Amino acid sequence: MPDTFNQELVALLPNLRRFAIALCRSRDIADDLVQTTCEKALHARASYQPGTRLDAWLFRILRNSWIDQTRRQKTEGPRIDVADAHFLVGQDGESTTEARLALDSTAKAIATLPDDQREVLIMVCVEDLTYREAADVLSIPVGTIMSRLARARRKLVDQLGIDSPTKRSEDQKGLM
Amino acid sequence: MTTTHFSDETIVAYADGELEPDLRAALERQMEVDGGLADRVARLAESRVHAKAALAPLLNEPVPAALSANIAAMMEEAEQPSPDDDATVVSLTPRRRRNLSAGFARWDMPIAASVALVMGTAAGFLIATYWTETPPGLRVASLEQAGLVAALNTIPAGDESTIGAGDRFRAIATYRDADGALCREFEVDHTDASTVVAVACRPAAAWELQFAVVAGQNNDGYAPASSLESLDAYLTAVGAGEPLSPDDEKTVLDGLR
Repeated sequence: MPDTFNQELVALLPNLRRFAIALCRSRDIADDLVQTTCEKALHARASYQPGTRLDAWLFRILRNSWIDQTRRQKTEGPRIDVADAHFLVGQDGESTTEARLALDSTAKAIATLPDDQREVLIMVCVEDLTYREAADVLSIPVGTIMSRLARARRKLVDQLGIDSPTKRSEDQKGLM
Repeated sequence: MTTTHFSDETIVAYADGELEPDLRAALERQMEVDGGLADRVARLAESRVHAKAALAPLLNEPVPAALSANIAAMMEEAEQPSPDDDATVVSLTPRRRRNLSAGFARWDMPIAASVALVMGTAAGFLIATYWTETPPGLRVASLEQAGLVAALNTIPAGDESTIGAGDRFRAIATYRDADGALCREFEVDHTDASTVVAVACRPAAAWELQFAVVAGQNNDGYAPASSLESLDAYLTAVGAGEPLSPDDEKTVLDGLR
């Protein structure tokens, strides 16, 4: 008996893990958080509406679990220093080509964004949620999504010196 | 020429295709005559591309095996009814009788095995707790045992490992059934000296117990031949293929991580 819910959940594990790492800045804590999320999702699967985005539903569970956890521990994560902003840099052993280093510096810039801006950036730009879907995950108005996203994108453009595509020099074309 | 100021918010929403039509039209009109605005739009649009590319490598990191195994175990558990749901366990008795009368009468002989023959996905409903003891002494093994799913995912055929509270897990063979699902034959020696001969298959993302024979007292590890006859009958019935070679098995098990 094929169970598409379970299959889709398993297929989304890398995405859940990425979102969790972005929230809690540690792979170990992120893995626990993903496990908690899956446990809750399996128990609550009756409340998932087929036809809506499963990833958005899971992100909401994951984020609420994280908020609960940090609230209980009453620990506000430390402000991130640029020096330890490596948690979003992939650990897949890819060679350190110039293009890869550029990606890594972007990942670090994202890592140093304030938490509320980073989570919105990831949901919209990386996971391709609509503003409405992201607003539902966070239970905030769409207008708040827009302002956080704009601040995050402005910082990336300024910090990384992002150029418009037409002006990009030849040696950067391999970036994407 | 009128110069309206467009905020980063408006520009980002435009770049993301989320801007309302009136504002979108106004912004596009001004972009035609305002190179600076067009440049801001292009840069903020480009930031999305950069962000997405920068975090793509995170997706390629393998999900830790322990995490996958724990989640697979939870999925198994979620498929099953609560342990106090007696009806599902009791229903096994008539099913077993039917099986016995339909050509498996030799099992009725006084062999040292009590047999639970479980086929297809109905299996999940019979496996309520780790050991379920019903009045006639029928025992059903469960994949919920600590470490069992992890052992299925990792231990190559011919190897053993200790799982749970001192039980021995022994992988016997790995093969594919007629539908192409990955199946593993294994034995578990329990601390009470009984041995379970079992087959679990993985038609989707989780293991399902397909077959289990509980052999009787046996101190030398391997299950007695009488219980293997029933296993052979089962394997024939489901069209099991030849066991995978060690290399093929390794590839398949690595793919489960």
